[in-house]
Amino acid sequence: MPTLTEEGVNGLTDAVLHVRDLSVRYAGAVRALDGVSISVTEGSVVAVLGGNGAGKSTLLRAISGTLGLQGGAVEGGEVTFRGQDLRGRDPGTVVRSGIVQVPEGRRIFGELTVEENLRAGGLSVRDRGARSRARDRVFELFPRLEERHRQRAALLSGGEQQMLAIGRALMSEPELLLLDEPSLGLAPKVVDRIGEVVREINGQGTSVILVEQNAAMALAVADQAYVLEVGRVSLSGTAAELADTSEVRERYLGIPGGDTDDRPHPPHAPAPSADSANGRPAIRELDVEALTVRFGGITALSDVAFRVEPGSVHAVIGPNGAGKSTCLNVLTGVYAPTSGTVRYGDKVLTGLRPHRIARLGVSRTFQNIALSPAATVADNLLLGRHRLSRAGFLSTGFGLPGARRERKREQGRVAEVAGLVHLDAQLQRPVAELPYGDRKRVELGRALCADPALLLLDEPVAGMNPDESEQMSQTIANVRAELGISVVLVEHDMAFVMRLADHVTVLDFGERIADGTPAEVQQDPAVLRAYLGGSPDSQEAAG
Amino acid sequence: MNQFVELLISGLSLGFVYALIALGFVIIFKATRVVNFAHGSILLLGAYVVARTHGSLGFAGAVLAGVLAAALCAVIVQLVILRRLRGATTDTLTIVTIGIDILLATELTRRIGTKVLNIGDPWRDHVVHLGSFSVPSARVAAAVVAILVLAAFTAAFKYSDWGVAMRSAAEDAEGAALMGIRLGRVAAGAWAVAGALAALGGVFFTTFPTPGVQATVGLSALTAFPAAILGGLDSVTGAVVGGLIIGVVTTMTSGYQDHIAFLGRGLGDVVPYVVMVLVLLWRPSGLFGTKEVTRV
Repeated sequence: MPTLTEEGVNGLTDAVLHVRDLSVRYAGAVRALDGVSISVTEGSVVAVLGGNGAGKSTLLRAISGTLGLQGGAVEGGEVTFRGQDLRGRDPGTVVRSGIVQVPEGRRIFGELTVEENLRAGGLSVRDRGARSRARDRVFELFPRLEERHRQRAALLSGGEQQMLAIGRALMSEPELLLLDEPSLGLAPKVVDRIGEVVREINGQGTSVILVEQNAAMALAVADQAYVLEVGRVSLSGTAAELADTSEVRERYLGIPGGDTDDRPHPPHAPAPSADSANGRPAIRELDVEALTVRFGGITALSDVAFRVEPGSVHAVIGPNGAGKSTCLNVLTGVYAPTSGTVRYGDKVLTGLRPHRIARLGVSRTFQNIALSPAATVADNLLLGRHRLSRAGFLSTGFGLPGARRERKREQGRVAEVAGLVHLDAQLQRPVAELPYGDRKRVELGRALCADPALLLLDEPVAGMNPDESEQMSQTIANVRAELGISVVLVEHDMAFVMRLADHVTVLDFGERIADGTPAEVQQDPAVLRAYLGGSPDSQEAAG
Repeated sequence: MNQFVELLISGLSLGFVYALIALGFVIIFKATRVVNFAHGSILLLGAYVVARTHGSLGFAGAVLAGVLAAALCAVIVQLVILRRLRGATTDTLTIVTIGIDILLATELTRRIGTKVLNIGDPWRDHVVHLGSFSVPSARVAAAVVAILVLAAFTAAFKYSDWGVAMRSAAEDAEGAALMGIRLGRVAAGAWAVAGALAALGGVFFTTFPTPGVQATVGLSALTAFPAAILGGLDSVTGAVVGGLIIGVVTTMTSGYQDHIAFLGRGLGDVVPYVVMVLVLLWRPSGLFGTKEVTRV
């Protein structure tokens, strides 16, 4: 994609931070950043936008020196701060040179008091006087923290915790503050307040890199902005320029740029046949009724209801922290709901153990790929057949004829599934050698090997580039057409969801805010608000 | 009744010694997520140094030397061996500590042989009379020292910069690193403190009524391991409570051995593990441990 301002900000010489042509890999396999260049001018706010897996957090880790803690390493390019090379510096040194990162998900120390959290933030400062001056300034910026300074940080509300995370970082009086998704999972009002806080901090002379999925808030406070897509900078320019582009609007809302929906809809599945002849569980409707899940004081899901028609593709979408994964975990029996029921046909799933639910023909994939990296694709897929295999430890060990016959049969089925998800060529390769997109396919294949009637997909295209995502959507459409099974998918990628789903349920803060066909949901003001942030009246400005 | 109270007092005083040792396990685990199986050998090293040097340095000087030696040894294990194994899982590191334990224990056993070394403590076999009960002076000293050390540790853990850094790193290592807390120093500090506590525990573990420094002391000091586990491996309070429970239970079992002879001899050695298993069946994360949360 083109750079909006040709000279960009890279040409400016008064930049404090320069990232040039940076490439980063994790564990020698997944390339998370590929030739990324950004720079931060003294006293400016730079927004970095992008979806899940775009490489935003990786970029911050490369600056703050924490890549190593995640098994990542810089492959090429450079990161300089005031002329000093930051590559290979440990996080402690980076903090002492004036850069502090507020991590994604706040990561305050919940067992420590508010005051102790702030103290932890100031430990890198030797001078006690400077520490207490910094603390006074933090309390001035966030009076709420002073009121609650003796309380355990875990007891603060989400917004207060974010304030604490920012305050903690300010304790070392950084020249450059890195904020990783500060608006994640927060109510629109609180998000507005965070925008103000960023402005205030910047007004006091601190430069800021603001990584966000909330494009409206980030573009409103930033001077410059970059959009990352699968590890590359796909757009850059001033915040005002980016806010005007249809790309940004489309990417964050899934609204096609001006045109009407001309994408081919996947063919609707043939009526599910009574398939119990070949031992496959029958395909039934899934009913979620008044589902509420609480963890301690946090309500992750509140009175959520939806219905998945047999043979349909049903998407559950919502911003980070909306309760999507919690919802999947209740469906598979990993979490027990506080109240409400999940019915599958005439069976009540709530209260059943995960393996009992799997036996009813419910199969899932995992957002953070959960495969055995050293085993081959075939073996990983074979694992999915476990529920359907009869041969025991001894008969397999002695290679009895029954066990051998079964193995042959199972391998045949594995090959069929591999064909369905386009992995035939990779069957004998260890999973660790596969690129990320293919691993996601193995996840899907393993779930399909269990011959499910209901397939649950947890972010099947997270971190994929548009091509991979397109292929994945073809594969899922194929699978559905071929097997006629129901699919529930949780996803961030709006374009993907709109292309594939028959029906969409939108969650925000654990509540169902919309439910309907993709076209209906796209027009829903509550959905626009949830995705763009901001209060209802600021919505026009945002959109 | 008389015997019961006497055993209880004796058990509690022994329990404080276990608490010192168990606290070492907990500190290392909290800071680095490694279970240090070399702890018993580091303790033996501390006690051995005390036994060898008290003739020339005096008892107080020898204890100082022992504490420093054990702390230094622990730091060397952390800096020279564990930290170099970058990228290894904590499980691997834990198994490495078993190897270190075997090396250390073999060398110390070679030096000590079958001898029983005197720790050179000033309490010898004196006994303090509390009303109608009598307790070895060494045990009283152990309890007093242990309570003082535990109080000092708790205060440092709660109020000092070191404590804030330790607790932050224990809760979220990456978060702490992002705040400029140097994880390497936190880990080295934790190992040093744990080593020092082990040496101190070793001194009282080898005073009267135990015979003295033997090659087997390292192994029997591992009885503090079930104390740490049943208290919850990541809880300071748990280490103290677990230590006290194990101290009382072992002392009681040995004291009433004749009454429970039908269970067989030597039950005192087994009972800490029985108690640990029972507690874990009831509370899988130990009495004060944090429940492990995994996200799917």
